[in-house]
This record gives sequence, C-alpha cells and structure tokens, in this order.
Amino acid sequence: MIFQIDFKSGTPVYLQLVEQIRHAAASGGLRTGEPLPSIRPLAEELRVNRNTIAKAYAELESQGVIETLPGKGCFLKAVGTPLTKTARNDLLVQEVDRAVVAAHHLQITDDELLALVKKRLETFERKNNAAHD
Amino acid sequence: MNTDAPVIEIKNLVRRYGKHDAVDGLSLNVRPGKCYGFFGRNGAGKTTTIKCLLNLLRPDTGTVRVFGLDPRTNEVAIKSRIAYVPDMVAFYPWMSVRDTLEYLASFRQNWNQDIEKDLLTRFQLDATKKTTSLSKGQRTQLALIGAICPEPELLVLDEPTSGLDPIVRREFIETVIGAYQSGDPTRRTVFVSTHLIAEFEGLIDEFTIIDQGRELLTMDADAARDRFKKIRARFAQEPKTNLTGALRVKRNGRELEVLANGNSEQLLAELKTQQPEELKVEALSLEEIFVASDILKKAHA
Repeated sequence: MIFQIDFKSGTPVYLQLVEQIRHAAASGGLRTGEPLPSIRPLAEELRVNRNTIAKAYAELESQGVIETLPGKGCFLKAVGTPLTKTARNDLLVQEVDRAVVAAHHLQITDDELLALVKKRLETFERKNNAAHD
Repeated sequence: MNTDAPVIEIKNLVRRYGKHDAVDGLSLNVRPGKCYGFFGRNGAGKTTTIKCLLNLLRPDTGTVRVFGLDPRTNEVAIKSRIAYVPDMVAFYPWMSVRDTLEYLASFRQNWNQDIEKDLLTRFQLDATKKTTSLSKGQRTQLALIGAICPEPELLVLDEPTSGLDPIVRREFIETVIGAYQSGDPTRRTVFVSTHLIAEFEGLIDEFTIIDQGRELLTMDADAARDRFKKIRARFAQEPKTNLTGALRVKRNGRELEVLANGNSEQLLAELKTQQPEELKVEALSLEEIFVASDILKKAHA
C-alpha cells in the first residue's frame, strides 16, 4: 500500500499511518494475512524516523488491527478485537462526535449527515466486495 | 547503565570570540535514540556549539557533557562513540576512496564491512578513484560512509546536505534512516544542524531553535506542529484584524491569515463571531515554525 504523509495536517505522523492502515483494512486495500511493509524500507521511502513507523505499528498492534510474527513481520489480523463492546462503543462515540462537530461548523443538517453516513457505508461495502471478487 | 541519561547535555554554555558572544548561555538535552534538530540562522552559534561537543573548541563557561563525559578530559572516549559530518569535508588528496576508508577505519574499533560495501554500491562510488576527483556530492557520500561504518552511538551532522543536488540530499537522508538507524535504536542518536529543515522534517523528534547564541524555542516536533497553526478565513466584509494573542495577522482584502501559538481554538472562536464564509486550519511545518520564531523573538524583545 502507498502512504501519504502530510506534515501540515496537524495529526502526528504516526497517527496518520495508523489511520491509513485502518482505512485500508476497512476498505479492502489490505486483506487479512497480508504483510505490512517492513519498517526500514518504509521509513526510508517516507523519509520519516524509524521510531515513527515502529510507534504506528505498536499502536495498531495494541488496537488488535495487526499482529507481529517474530522474524516474519507485521500482518493484518482477522477482524476480532481484544476490546470489550463498551470500550469499542466509547472509541466510536469520540469519532462520531468529531463528525457531528464538523457537520455543525460546515452547516450540514442532521438529515444530510445521516444520509452521508449511509452513503459512505455503502461505498466502503462496495470497495470491500470489489477487493474480494 | 541508565538508558535515559542524555547523550548530549549542555548547560549554560558560553563561548566568545574576542568580545563577540557566539554562544551565550545555551542549554539543551538530547535523549538517546532521538533525532534532534538544531536550527538557527547563519551565525546563530550552531557550529560553535557543535565544536564544543567535539573539543574542537573549549567553552568559556558552562558545561558540555557527551555520554555524561566532559569532552575536554575524555576526548578519545567520546570520539570513539561518535561520528561527525561537517558541511565541508576534506580528505587527503593523494588517497583513493579505498585508502581513505581504510585510513578512517584504522581509528575505529568497529567497522561494518557490509554497510561499507552496500553504501559504495548504492552511491556508485568507485573505490579506486582519487579523492581529488570526487564531486562535492561524492565527497559528502564518502564522509557519510566513513561516519556510518563505525556504527557510532551518536551521529553529529552540521549542515550536511547544503550545496548538494536534490538526489544526493535525498539519498543522504535515506541512508541516515536506513543504514544508520538499523542498529539498536537506543544506541542511534542523531544531532543535526541544518537550514534544509523541510527535508529532515520526518526525521526530527525534537528540536531547538538557537538565536544569537541563545535558545529561542525547544520542542517536541509533533507538539510544535500541534501548537503552531495557520488559520485562513474569508469574510463577506473586510474583517477586523485585532485578534487577541495572534502571533501574526495578515489581511488581504476580505481574507485573513492568522498565526496561532497554542491558542488556535480561541482565535477560531473569535473569527467565527465575524461570520466567516470559509475557515481553514493547518499546522505549520517545522520550517514555517522556524520562520515564525523570528516573530516570537521580536515579541520577547
């Protein structure tokens, strides 16, 4: 997969990597069991510190998105998370709140927001189906 | 051994040339495994500071410690664990690339032959070539090979990529990330002084901006990008420009560009009271933060 780093986004670089890998995993860009790039070549390619990549992978591992197989590297895990349903809900609420706040400032009505969420769910589903065909 | 003990520790360093204070009370700490940026304008005191680390200059007052040791009394012990790439590198003109590397290796307890071979191939350097026939880029590449093969715990870079072409600069940074950082991460610390801040942006964990020999700003890079923001706003009418605590406000017709220093939320709220048609926030890059630090300085003065 190809990563895009933006130093001006205000999001720390390691979190940008985390988000892009989670996005790829959710949209079929990265499939279960597929390896992630190893740290050194990825760090060289993006010209970011190796610690940054290592930190991103450690974060993804703690979130249960990837697993490290000693001597083999990091792989995308089958869906299944160590977090409880309540913890998962809490995490999602934060993300939803962010979207709600953004919608408010962009003067998007509640109905428009809900319609958009539905549309995005369909888009991801389509991408996922396409990836598995 | 305490693994968190700073690799470089500078306290109230003062170094004068005659009556001119080149470094005037500088303090900073570099922790192991970090890549530390050292930014400043020409003549800010960067090279003088670096020379004090290497015992090429002695401090007038204040203390400098590298691996907890005083460079004045433990020069050899320190130098055996560090490597230094200056902006101008010179080699003995009668030596070939191979001779030069062998000569450099003769001072070192450890010399990684595999890295040497890899890098010679990567840079397409002909080992039989005389150093006098090397270009500036090739000279820097040779210096970098000489710095990385001993696998030093600390790599000190002083304007290493200035005057080089973009491809050589890119390879230089990739080599620091790849070949140098591939070892034990806690024993791979980089201290880099540079004006080409954008190129090193992804590498820098923490930085100090030095101005007229004094520390102007020391921050974690992510925290700095979080604190310094640029807000762009467009209004239906010409907007008011008196915003509380803005680092800088630029107006162009109905548009405003506002620099925030940790107060972007408050500035955004203030701007919103003027009903903007469009409002955008982005982080400042380290280079922009460096430029903005000039405004900070004037605010302090």
